[in-house]
Order: sequence, then C-alpha cells, then structure tokens
Amino acid sequence: MKKNKSWRVLLALLATLTMVAAACGDDDDDTTAPADTTAPADTTTAPAAATTAPPAASAISVGLVYDTTGRGDQSFNDAAAAGGDQATAELGVEFSEATPNADGSNRAELLQLQADTNPLVFGIGFLFADEINGVALANPTVNFAVVDGVPTEDPAPNLALLLFAEHEGSFLMGAAAALKSETGTIGFIGGVNVDLIKKFEAGFTAGAQYINPDIEVLAEYITQPPDFTGFNSPDRGKEIGLSMYDDGADIVYAAAGGSGGGLFEAAKEFSEGGDSKVWAIGVDSDQYNIVDPAVRDYILTSMLKRVDVAVFNTIEAANSGAFVPGFNIFNLAVDGVGYSTSGGFVDDITGDLEDIKAKIISGEIVVPETLA
Amino acid sequence: MSERGLTDAALPGSPGRVDLAHLWKQRWFRWPVFALGGMIVLQLVEWIADPESEELLSGGQAGAMLRWSVPLLLAGLGGMFAERAGIVNIGLEGMMVLGTWFGAWGSVKYGPVIGTAIGLLGGALGGLLHAIATVSFGVNHIISAVAINIMAPGVTRFLADEIFSGYAGGSISQSPRVASFGSVELPVLDRVSWLTIIAFAFVPLAWYVLWRTRFGLRLRAAGEHPSAGDSLGVNVYRYQYAGVVISGALAGLAGSFIVTELTGIYREGQTNGRGFIGLATMIFGNWRPGGTALGALLFGYADGLQLRDRDGVHALLLVGVVVLAVLALRRALSPKRTVVEVGLPAVIATLIVVWYLLRDTVPPTFNQVTPHILTLVVLVFSAGRLRPPKGAGQIWRKGEH
Repeated sequence: MKKNKSWRVLLALLATLTMVAAACGDDDDDTTAPADTTAPADTTTAPAAATTAPPAASAISVGLVYDTTGRGDQSFNDAAAAGGDQATAELGVEFSEATPNADGSNRAELLQLQADTNPLVFGIGFLFADEINGVALANPTVNFAVVDGVPTEDPAPNLALLLFAEHEGSFLMGAAAALKSETGTIGFIGGVNVDLIKKFEAGFTAGAQYINPDIEVLAEYITQPPDFTGFNSPDRGKEIGLSMYDDGADIVYAAAGGSGGGLFEAAKEFSEGGDSKVWAIGVDSDQYNIVDPAVRDYILTSMLKRVDVAVFNTIEAANSGAFVPGFNIFNLAVDGVGYSTSGGFVDDITGDLEDIKAKIISGEIVVPETLA
Repeated sequence: MSERGLTDAALPGSPGRVDLAHLWKQRWFRWPVFALGGMIVLQLVEWIADPESEELLSGGQAGAMLRWSVPLLLAGLGGMFAERAGIVNIGLEGMMVLGTWFGAWGSVKYGPVIGTAIGLLGGALGGLLHAIATVSFGVNHIISAVAINIMAPGVTRFLADEIFSGYAGGSISQSPRVASFGSVELPVLDRVSWLTIIAFAFVPLAWYVLWRTRFGLRLRAAGEHPSAGDSLGVNVYRYQYAGVVISGALAGLAGSFIVTELTGIYREGQTNGRGFIGLATMIFGNWRPGGTALGALLFGYADGLQLRDRDGVHALLLVGVVVLAVLALRRALSPKRTVVEVGLPAVIATLIVVWYLLRDTVPPTFNQVTPHILTLVVLVFSAGRLRPPKGAGQIWRKGEH
C-alpha cells in the first residue's frame, strides 16, 4: 500500500512538470518579443527622429508582428522577414519579432508590446488593419506600418499602408500559364474569399484571357470569411489541387499563403502517378528557392510580391527620418511586384512576359482589380 | 448481462418470416446492400442534377473520401476503445495534436515509417496522461480531457520552437517537408496510401480484439459494469489504462496520417477539430467498429466533395432528400410511429427540395458546412436506439461501489 502511494506521488510530480513545460511553451513565444534590451536607450529619442528628421546617429530598432503562420511559412511572412534581415545586415537595425497565437486574438497586445520598445512597428498582413490602427492612435509617438491592410476607419496619422498591385503581378502569371498550358485549362486557388485575394484571381484570369480568350480558368477558394483557416490548410489546398489536375488543368496558381505548400505536393503526386507533368505557380516569395528540393521542380514561376522591398524601404525611410504615413503603393513600375525565373522553366517566354510588363507599365494594358 | 447482450444490443429485428427478412438480419448481407443502394442513389442524383464534373461517383472522389475519412476513423476507433473501457475521452483532439508533432519530428529524423510509429507513441503518451488522471486519481473525465486539449497545442508549439526552428524550412508553427508513406495503385481509387489500408485494417482488428478475445471481454466488462467485473477478478484499473492508452495511440496515428499523407508537413492547428468529429463518428457508429467506419466514410465523402466539387454539394442536397424520405417512410410504416418522427423529416425534405429548385448553387458561405449539416440531420433521424457502454463517464473506485 505504501509503495503504491509513493508511485502515485511520482506520477503526480511528472504530470505537474509536463503542465509547467506546457505553460513555458506559451510564454516562451511571447517573451521573444521584447528580447533586445538595448532598445529603450533609442526609444526616447526615436519619436522625435520620426517627425523632425535629425541625422540618424545610430540605427533605430524595429518590431515585426507576423501573421498567424509566422516566420517560416516559405511565403508571405518569410518575405517580410527577409526585409527585416536585410535591414539588419545593411543598416544595422535591430529587430524583434512576434507571432500571434493560432486564432490571432492577441494581435493588438503584441503590437502594443512592440510599440513599448520600438519606434517603428510592422503588422504583417491585412488582418492587422483595424488592430494596428487602434494601437497607432493610442501611441502617437511611434510609427506604424501595415502590409496589405486598409483599416475600416480613417487611418491614423502615424500609420503607413503598404499596398501592392497584386493584380498586375497576377496578370503576368495568367499570361505565363496560358502560354505554357497544353490542355487549355488552368486553375486558381484562393486561400480565403476576400477582396484582396479576389484581386489575384481577377488579374490572373485577365492575363490568361489576354493570351488565349478561350482558356478555361477553374477557380476555388478554400474557406469563406470569417473563417481564415484557408491560409493555413495545406491538406485542403492539396485536395483542391488534385481535383483541378483531375479535371484537366495542367497549371494551377495558388494565392493561399501556407496552403500553397499543399498544391506543390499535389503537383508532385499527380505528376508521379499520371503520365503528364503538371505545374504549380507560387506566390509572394520566389518559392522555387524556399521549398524543399523534392517539390521545387513543379514550380513553374512565382508571383513576386516584394514585401521584403516594402519592409526594407520603410525601415530605411524611418531610419533616415523620412517615414511616409498613408498609402505607399508598390506596383510593377517600381518592381513592387514581378515574376521569378528560378528553375529556368519560363526562359522561353520571358520575352513575351517582358513585353506585357512594359505594356502594363505604360498603361497600354489596364489590369482589372475585380472579376469581369 | 450476457455475452450475447453485449454484442448484439439494440438491433431492430423483425421476426424471420421470409428468407429475405432473415437474410436482412445478417450484417454481412445488409452492408453490401446499403453500399449498393447508396451508389444507385448517387448515380440517380447525378442524372437528375446533371453536374458538369460528375464528381459524385468519380474515382478521384472515392480516393478523396478514403483519405479524408482516415483521421476520423482512427479517432473514432480510439474513442471507442476508451469508452468501451468506461473512460470518456474527449481529449482525442489533443492526443491527435501530439501525434502530428511527434509524427512529423520522427519522420524528419527517421523517415515516415518510424516517424508514424513515433507519432503513435506521442498520442499514447497523451492517453497515458488521461489514464493517470482519470483512472488513478479519479479526476472527472471531461476536466482531464479538456486540460489535455488545451495543453497539447502549447506543448507542440514549445517543442516546434525548440526543435523545428533549427531546421531549414521549419519554424515555431511548422516542420520541414515530410515524405509520405508510399502508396499503391488500386483500380477505381487510384493511389491509395499504405497507411490508409492499415487504418482500415484496424476495423476488423478492433472488432476481433474487443469481441473475440479474453482481453476484449474484460475491457468491455470494465466499461459496462466495473464492479461486476471486479467481483469476478478482473483488474478494472489495468483494463481502463489499456483502453485509454490504445485510444491515445490511435489518435496519435490519426495525427501522423494528417502529417505524412494529407499534407506532407506539420503545421500548427492542422487537426482542425477532427478529434471531436471522430467522437461524433463513434457515436454515429453506436460504439462499434463497423458503424464507426461507415460514419467516417460519410464524413470523409462530404469533406472530399466539398473541396473537390462545389456544384456537387448542390446535388448532394437531393441525396439528403432521398435519405430523409426513406427515413420518414420507415417511421410511417412502423407501429410505434409519432407525428414528430414522421413529420419532421418530411418537412425538412420538402424544404430542401424547395431550396434546391429555387437556387442553382449553394451560397459559398454555406457550402463549407452543408455536407456536415446534412450528415447531422440524417444522423439525428437515423440515430434510433443508440446504446453507449453503461459505465462510460463514471468514476469507478475499487471497493466503493
């Protein structure tokens, strides 16, 4: 009996330890945010630096709050991280980062946490739009920037909105797909059915029809708002990709954040099982260079959305005291969007693509932002 | 309660007057008839609704149904093992989450086969924790399971940050790419993963273990009437431990399957509530392996169709109408009919027909949930007489009853 009791105590201890470990797990993530202890020295002078533009004696510090998938999504958030890394390397900027919990309920808190120690804070992703606006109004001495987001209220005077002409880049993807397709059917997978992603579909469809008016474009969205799990569901992305390949599409473009990885798996699986090779088109980053080598040979090209350029330029501007609040548009003309050539799969059509690109920049082709 | 009573509880039976009625009572005869009838209904609906892609009965859709049903099937079987031993396990979701992380970690380090086994062990660990809390310490089953469901994502996030962040392509929320288990080409279904085949092999295996072995009899005794089992010398605690640990292991295997077969990567939150749907699957299946498999296939079919063919979901409405009509008819013919039991399915079926005729498509926001709502409606009316294990959820202390 005695022996039995001590055994139980041991187990109870073990269980408690596990719980403690779990609790640490959650904390650990959040405490990475204010990691840089050198920041406070700068913060006192930085607000002045942002508005009155004195010479930047030492580099500012920057806070980055990613979208729920976080750094390592091989897509959108990684592009933002690359901009931060570049700023660290070239400007000596120190930056701290944070990732919201899975349901994104602590976005505002993480932004505030970053604003406490940094004179410039980024929110990466359109879901930040309203929260960052609120935090910006509450912290008028700190500069804020949000990628992709337009708040529903009037934006705060210290908030920069970094927006991209995704429809222009997607137009090039549609043209590339139509030029390369042998079946005359291509596909589009959107993560969540919101205006931002519909812009991708509109540009993609218009670009494909510019090359081949009779082309069939299959389009599907993984989830409907307010369910935003469509950006984080590679399983569902893979199944939709497989069904599009089954239906005769030979090139599918995914604007679905982390779910795009599932499409690459689908392209690989379908190509290995069937007798014809099918392609996927990546988004945001040059995904050929980021994904696992096992699937990269199925990535025709990627629509580059230079979130890294936007992040870097904004940090550079703020660092030299030239932070510009309000709308900052990154389009084809300033290389804010574009296409990748890694892998060499589009080498035979780069002439056509450059031609179209020039026409878009000159205004000869006007790319629609919504579906006809 | 006799052994017979444990196995064949609550089968609605009519007296065997004709041979056909007698045959109908045999399960081996009924299942193929159900399957065949289902296929005929689907084919008819496809003719009537005439969707362009003909997805309702395609090989691709059949393959998707199998793939998407496996996690639900394994979770359902897991829930069955725990509840047959008397322990309610709504912690399946958390154990599945542990399975995804451990499965991914094992696969990255040692390849998918050993990785899947490690995922299974990860889930079993969660099961062990639940068993310690509920069996040894007498904690309320729901409280313990909720704690596990909350704890598991925290543990995996911590572990992912500690370990996956060090790999190329890994981060706090995801692992590097994970290779798949390998698949085999089958007629009609195309590529079927070996792990899918193994998962479905668990259905007859679970039946054999629970209903044809001494171990199974004692385990079920612990779940039906632990004191009676105890008085006959069954070590109730040990069998409850076994049931819950097996339960966790199966949930862990489901997690591994999601990682290696459905996605090829570990991502935070990818179980997406499947543990809970697995539990619903078990209840749908009346705490039996065959019924659980049928429920998992139904949910898997709905999931796959919803992703592969949105027009098909519209056509699926007609399937719901057929099933509801059959149910209403069956109730109407039964001597113990009530107005609600006959009228409600009939009214709902009529409403669906009206909706179907008025609209060409299901609105996209509703699309995602339509298959599940339909399945639930069918479930509610077909539930009939479910019979859970008598002792499930009860905290049993040796010598106190």
